[in-house]
Amino acid sequence: MRTDDETLRGLMASAQGGDRRAYAMLLDEARHWLGGYYRRKVTPDYADDLIQETLVSLHRKLASYDPARPFLPWLAAIARYRWVDHLRKLSRGDDPATDAEVAAPSEEPAIAAKLSLERLFEHLSDAQADAIRLVKVEGHSIAEASQATGQSESLVKVNIHRGIRKLAALIEKD
Amino acid sequence: MSQSTESLMTELVGDLEPVIPLRFSRGLALAMGAMAVAVVSIFWQGDIRADVMAGQPREIFLVSTGLFLLLGLACTVAVVLMGSPRVGAARNGWQWALAMASVLPVTALIIGLSRGASAWAASEADHGVVCLEASVGLGLLTGAVLTLWLRRGAPSMPERAGLLTGIAAGCAGVFAFSFACPIDSFMHTGIWHGLAVVASALLGRLVVPPLVRW
Repeated sequence: MRTDDETLRGLMASAQGGDRRAYAMLLDEARHWLGGYYRRKVTPDYADDLIQETLVSLHRKLASYDPARPFLPWLAAIARYRWVDHLRKLSRGDDPATDAEVAAPSEEPAIAAKLSLERLFEHLSDAQADAIRLVKVEGHSIAEASQATGQSESLVKVNIHRGIRKLAALIEKD
Repeated sequence: MSQSTESLMTELVGDLEPVIPLRFSRGLALAMGAMAVAVVSIFWQGDIRADVMAGQPREIFLVSTGLFLLLGLACTVAVVLMGSPRVGAARNGWQWALAMASVLPVTALIIGLSRGASAWAASEADHGVVCLEASVGLGLLTGAVLTLWLRRGAPSMPERAGLLTGIAAGCAGVFAFSFACPIDSFMHTGIWHGLAVVASALLGRLVVPPLVRW
């Protein structure tokens, strides 16, 4: 973040009062902060989408910020909610890009995202972590993951679903 | 910055309207106002406990209504704060209040299991159903106010927000109806007043989350 929280609080308070200039500056700062936040958590394919979704949420939930409190913990809560929502969509399998998603291993943000996920995977069973890693991170098909892990295809799907739900719950409690 | 993000930000800036920020004191005042309406409506009906009317409330009345009031307040505070999310904010005071209020139903269960049928009869089941229905009904306004608050806010845990809204509403209803409930026994208070909070909590957990997701 390039601007301190005190300044951001002032910008946000002005934006809540309808000051568009302050709001434009705030959105720009928020976009930068969100870029750093999401690049450590999701593969680059998703980071831009999540930044945009979070900016829209920030706009829709502008009134939920209490100007008496720090700004960044509020923005982080909004971002985390969108991230958990993203994970839930993945667990439901309603993301069209899911099966094709491949993290580019040469890109630093993708590696950071993978490391972040690996830390979270420690909370899952091996079967759940393997299924999510193969299908959601490395982009293998369900059939390929089934072959690699020895789990049936339906068990791979169940493990992905339950694992991601557990991850979402962990992140919410964090 | 990608072109689409830039144009989105331009759109958002153009769409900006002034908003009234959610403030904790306002949310708490609204919820307390809803609870006060429930209490006033009980007094309005005039069917108030004799000991309360005489200005000499019984000990069990003070202890049980006090516990439910504290649990309701703790949950109300948690729900109001949930409207303005914040990473790193520990809001688990309601869990301690819940543990304390659970002493009543747990005591009732122990008495019921150790003393048998006579103890269960002392719970006054016929009047208990009335307490349950009236308490849940009286808490609805508090539940509605808190749900509207959450809809304006940005609760990051909708399921928990729903559960706590239900508990807060149930406690508000039990607190209000306690002024009219004439039965003084741990069996009755622990089981039926406790059940009213449980029923309201379940209702909140089922109904509220879909209404407050964003």
